[in-house]
Amino acid sequence: MSQGPPPPLRVTDLTVRFAGLVALDAVSLTVEPGSIHALIGPNGAGKSTCFNVLSGVCRPASGSVRLGERELTRLAPHRIAALGVARTFQNIVTTEGTVADNLMLGRHGLSRAGFAATALRLPHAVREQRAHRERARAFAGLTGLGALFDTPVGLLSYGDRKRVELARALCLEPRLLLLDEPVAGMNGAERERMAGVVRTVRAELGLSVLLVEHDMGLVMRLADEVTVLDFGRRIAGGAPADVRTDPEVVRVYLGSPAAPAAPAAPAVSAPSGAGAVERPGDASARARGAAAPAPGTERGDSA
Amino acid sequence: MSERVPRTGPRAVLPYAAAVVLLCALPLYLEAYWLRIGLFAMAAAIGAIGLNLLSGGTGQLSLGHAFFLAVGAYGYAWLAGEPGPGLPAPLALVLAVCLAGVAGGLFSPVSGRVRGVYLGVATLALVFLGHHVMLNAEAVTGGYNGRAVAPFTLLGFSFTSADPELSVLGVPFGAEERLWYLGLALLGLAWFTARNILRGRPGRALAAVRDSEVAAAVLGVPVARYRSAAFVVSSMYAGLSGALIALAFRRIVPDYFGLTLSIDYLAMIVLGGLGSVAGAVAGAAFVTALPLVLTRYADVLPLVDEPGAGGQGVGPTEAARYLYGAAIVLVLRYAPGGLVGLVRRTPAPGRRAAPAASAPADDGAPANAASPSVRPSHPKESSS
Amino acid sequence: MTTALDILLNGLALGSVYALVALGFVIIFKASGVMNFAQGSLLLLGGYLTAVLHEELGFLPALLLAVAATALVAGLVDRVLLRGMDPRHHHILTIMTIGVDILLLTELARRIGGDLLTLGDPWGNDVLTLAGVTVPTSRVASITVSVLVIGTVFAAFRHTDWGLSLRAASEDQEAAALMGVRLGRVRTLAWALAGALAALAALFLTAFPAPGLERTTGQIALKAFPAAILGGMASPPGALLGSLLIGVTEALAAGYQSELSALGRGLGDVAPYLVMIVVLLVRPHGLLGTKEAVRV
Repeated sequence: MSQGPPPPLRVTDLTVRFAGLVALDAVSLTVEPGSIHALIGPNGAGKSTCFNVLSGVCRPASGSVRLGERELTRLAPHRIAALGVARTFQNIVTTEGTVADNLMLGRHGLSRAGFAATALRLPHAVREQRAHRERARAFAGLTGLGALFDTPVGLLSYGDRKRVELARALCLEPRLLLLDEPVAGMNGAERERMAGVVRTVRAELGLSVLLVEHDMGLVMRLADEVTVLDFGRRIAGGAPADVRTDPEVVRVYLGSPAAPAAPAAPAVSAPSGAGAVERPGDASARARGAAAPAPGTERGDSA
Repeated sequence: MSERVPRTGPRAVLPYAAAVVLLCALPLYLEAYWLRIGLFAMAAAIGAIGLNLLSGGTGQLSLGHAFFLAVGAYGYAWLAGEPGPGLPAPLALVLAVCLAGVAGGLFSPVSGRVRGVYLGVATLALVFLGHHVMLNAEAVTGGYNGRAVAPFTLLGFSFTSADPELSVLGVPFGAEERLWYLGLALLGLAWFTARNILRGRPGRALAAVRDSEVAAAVLGVPVARYRSAAFVVSSMYAGLSGALIALAFRRIVPDYFGLTLSIDYLAMIVLGGLGSVAGAVAGAAFVTALPLVLTRYADVLPLVDEPGAGGQGVGPTEAARYLYGAAIVLVLRYAPGGLVGLVRRTPAPGRRAAPAASAPADDGAPANAASPSVRPSHPKESSS
Repeated sequence: MTTALDILLNGLALGSVYALVALGFVIIFKASGVMNFAQGSLLLLGGYLTAVLHEELGFLPALLLAVAATALVAGLVDRVLLRGMDPRHHHILTIMTIGVDILLLTELARRIGGDLLTLGDPWGNDVLTLAGVTVPTSRVASITVSVLVIGTVFAAFRHTDWGLSLRAASEDQEAAALMGVRLGRVRTLAWALAGALAALAALFLTAFPAPGLERTTGQIALKAFPAAILGGMASPPGALLGSLLIGVTEALAAGYQSELSALGRGLGDVAPYLVMIVVLLVRPHGLLGTKEAVRV
C-alpha cells in the first residue's frame, strides 16, 4: 500500500480573492512527508479556502501548491485526486446507499469498469469491482466501520458518518489526506475515537495529514506541526508547544492565555459544521468587521 | 444501489421468473388491442428507464427526451427503409440506437456545462429544433406527413402478420403478438443493463455528481464527462424506445415527438419513483395505458356528463389528462417515492420519508438550516 | 411590404410581451428557485377570463378582474401546493408546476375548444402613423404598457420591502430567514405578481394583428423560457434584455424568411432556441447571470 514516503506538500505565497476580498494573503506552509500538520485559526481565517485550493475546487489568484514536483493549482479536482490527495468535508457529504457504496465511490479513480462493461456485467468488470470491494472493506475495518459495511449511510450516527467520509477518502489510496474539522460536532468519546483512527491510518498507511480543527486540545495532542491563520494571513507556525504560547496566537484567540488549550466548543453543539462552534475570538473578529471575508467564502458554505 | 451483490437463490429469482412466464403467456390470451397497449407501454418503459438514468440517477432535468426518441424512430425508419439505405432491420436498430447516442453526445458541450433549470430549458430547445428538422428534412423524414416504417425481420422471420404464417396453440400470431416478444426482450435488456449501471461504478459516480458535484470531483470523478455520458446513455435508451415505437406505429409523424411527449416521460419517472428502474417501468405503463384504457371504456365510465363543464362533456383523453396531472401533483406532494415507494417497504427509520418532512414548518423558518448533508435527497429508491 | 423598421418595431412589440412573461419566470425563480411551467396556462387563464367577462363588465373592469383572479390562482398554487415542500428540491417543485400546468391547461382548452375569443380591447384594428411608419395601435399600447409595468416592477424591486426581501431571499434563503424575512409571504407575493404579469401579457398577445385567444395561446410562454434563460434566470434586467433579443430575432427570422429559406420553413419559431443555445454555450448562466457560489 505505501509506496515509500509521501511527497512533501509545499504551499508558497498562496493568495485567493473573492470579489475584492482577500481570503488568503500570501500564505505559505509545508506539510512534511508523513507528518500531521494542523491548520488552525478563527472562523473566517481562510482555512477552508485553503483546503478548496489544495483540492482544486477553487483557483488562487497567485501562488503555488506543489505536491512533490507536481504543481496542483492548474489541475482539475479529479486530477488532483488521482495524484493522491483526498479530502473530507466540514459538512458531511455522503451519497445515498450503503457504506460500501460510498467507499466504492472512493475507488472510482482507481478502477476502470465503464458504462458498457458494467451494463453487461462483463467478467473483467465484475472481477475488478469485487477486488475493489474487498479493498474498501479493509478500509472500513481500519476505521472501525467493518460491521456497518452494508448498512445504509442514512441510518448511521453522526460520528459514524464522519468516519465514513474518512474511510472514503482513504479509499483513494491518498499520499496526502486533508481533513476538514474531522471531530466537529462529536462528543468526547467520539472525538477520542476519531483521533485514534487518524493516528492509526497515519501509522499504517504512512501518509501525510493536513487537518483543520477547532478542538485545540486535539490539535495539540495530534499534530506534529501547526500553522495559524487569521484573516487570511499566516500569523504563526511551528511545533504545537511553541504555537500555544505565541503571543500573537493568544491575542487572536482573545485574551486569556489558557484559551488556545481549552476548547470552547460545547460537546453537544448542533451536529453540523455550519458555524455552530463559534470561537471566542470570533465575536471580536466580526466586530472588526470590514476585513472579514464575505459570507459564503468561509463560514458554513465553503466546505 | 444499496445492494451490489446480486441476490441469487430460488426465493429471489422466483417472482421474476413468474413475471416473465406470465408476460410470455399473455399473447395467447389477450386480443390485439391490449397487446398494442402493452407494446407501447414496453417501448415507453425503455425510454423512461433512460430518462430515469439521467434525471433520477444524475439529477439532470431533461425536457428533450422526445427529440432522442425521434432520432431513434426516424433513424430506424430511414436506415431500414425506403427511401434510405434499406439495411437489415437488426443492424438498422443497432445503428439507430448509436445514432441517438451520437445526438446525445453532440449535445455534450451544453449538457456538460449547463446546469439545473438552464439545462432543462436548453433541452426544451432540442424538441423545437428537432421538430423543425423533421418538418423540413423531407428526404429523410417525409416532412409533415411522416413516413412509413419498415417491419422488423430477424433471420428471415418477419414481425408482421405473415411471412411466415404462424400460430401457437391455436392462436394466430400476427404483428402484435410477434412484436410483443421483441418488446419484451428489448425491455428485459434495458432493465438488466440500467440496473447494472445504476448499481455499478458508473451509477455511483452519477449519484455522487447528483448529490454534490464538488464532492464527486474531489473524489476523483470527472464531473463534466459523467454529466455528458449520462446524456449519451440516456439518449441511447431513448433511441431504442423510439425505434420500437416506430415499429409499433408502422408510421411516424413529427407532431408525435413534441414537448408533450417529453413531459409524458418526465411524468412516468416521477410517478414511478425517481431513480428506480422498476418505478420507471411502472410509471411508463401507467402513463401509456391510462388514456387508452379510458378510451376503451369511455362508454361504461361515468365521464360524459361531468358537472360544471359548461355543457361540454369530458372526453376520455381529457379525463386521462386530468387524472395524470392530478397524479403528478398528488404523488409529488404526498408520496414522493412514487409508485415504487408506495409498494415497497415503509421508509426505514432515519431515512427521510418525504421531502416535506424536512421542509420549513412555517414562513421564514430556514429549511433545516444546519442540514448535515447537502444531498438533494430525491426520494430515490434503489432499483429492484 | 416589410421594411427593416417595421421588423424592428414588430420585434420590440413581441419582445415587450415576452418580457412580461419572462419577468414572471424570473420573479418566481428568485423567490423559490422554481422554473414555473404553469406560466403558460396562467396566461391562458388570464386571457380566458378577460374574454368571458368583458361583454358584461366592459373591457377595463374585466381585465382588472382577470389580472386579479390570475394573481390569486398563482398565489394559491404556491400556498396550497408548493408550501411545505422542501425548497431545495428544485426539480421536484419544477415538475410539480408541470402537473399544475397540465390540469389548468386541460380545463381551459376544454372550455375554449376550437373557439377564437376576443378580449374586447379598445384598440381594435386601428393603426397609428408615426414618422411615416404605420403601426397597429395595439402594438404601441403593448410597448407603452409593458414599459410602464416593467418600470413599476423594477422600482418595486429596488424600493419596497418586498423587493428587498426578494433579493435577499434569492441571495441566501437561510440568511434572509434569519434576518427576519418572511419567505413564505415573499414567495406567495412573487407568484401572484408573476400571475398578474402573465394575464396582462395575454391581452397583448391576442390583440390585433393576432387573431384572438386560442387554446394554444399559452404556448407563447415556451418562447419566454429562452428569453429568461438567455438573460440569466435570476436577473430581471437579463429577462428584459433576453426578451427583446428573442423578440427581434423572431421578427427578423420571420421577416427575412424568404432570404433564409435554405434553413427551412418556420424558422421564426426555432430561432429563439438557436440563439439561446449559442448564448448558453458561451455563458452557461446567461448573459447577465452570475455563477452560482460553489457549495460543498
